[in-house]
Amino acid sequence: MSGTPRYDRGAIEDFGRWREFSAGMWAWIFHKFTGWVLIGYLFTHIAVLSTALAGPATFTGTIQGLESQAVVRVLEVGLLAVAVFHILNGIRLLLVDLGLGLEHQDRAFYASLVLTGLIAVASVPVFVEGAF
Amino acid sequence: MAERYSSFTPGGTGWLLQRVTAVFLILALAFHFFLLHFINHAADVTFGGAAARMAEWGYYATMILFLVAATFHGVNGVYNALINQGLDGQLKTAVKWGLAVAGLLLIVQGVRVANALAGGVP
Repeated sequence: MSGTPRYDRGAIEDFGRWREFSAGMWAWIFHKFTGWVLIGYLFTHIAVLSTALAGPATFTGTIQGLESQAVVRVLEVGLLAVAVFHILNGIRLLLVDLGLGLEHQDRAFYASLVLTGLIAVASVPVFVEGAF
Repeated sequence: MAERYSSFTPGGTGWLLQRVTAVFLILALAFHFFLLHFINHAADVTFGGAAARMAEWGYYATMILFLVAATFHGVNGVYNALINQGLDGQLKTAVKWGLAVAGLLLIVQGVRVANALAGGVP
């Protein structure tokens, strides 16, 4: 960024201003938050799958041991919601990058939220089946 | 006209790769969730089932590409999020290389897992 003067856009990072945030700023925050969760999960996911290196019994035992816990199933629904929002809002960002729908970006954010909620709720039965 | 604000260099390779990987990940992540939660249930995953999937050359190649794209997209996303938060100077350089090493280690470990499941490169 050397040589490029930063202009004062009013720090979005100053979360104390949250009451003033517009839809686009909330979308930015949610995209960052879900992104942090997903990259954190990716490292965790590979760590768990690494039990494959210890042999078939360890791998299967670890996966099925985790999946037998109700809390893991609930967290998986949360992970699905996080992934779905990141995907839908990501499509919104790609469209904005292409110059499409910029004037509707706020409504696209609300649509992403509603669709995420619907998909997550509709997926609950599949995710928790046999866990309770 | 509003001034442009982004942590990405306009037209830069990082900017483009973040978007190219995004398009691929939309499809790959949706496929991954469908396959391992809706078609096969995660609770029913076994080493044998995972090994049978991974032994398919197309599935193996897709998963390796998925791993590399997700790692790049995630690590590059973290780097840019930190730049948004004001990361600069020597710390920025240190974080960049730290993230690059972490990403590479993740890819290496992911490939080891895929090979362990597939019993070698299919």
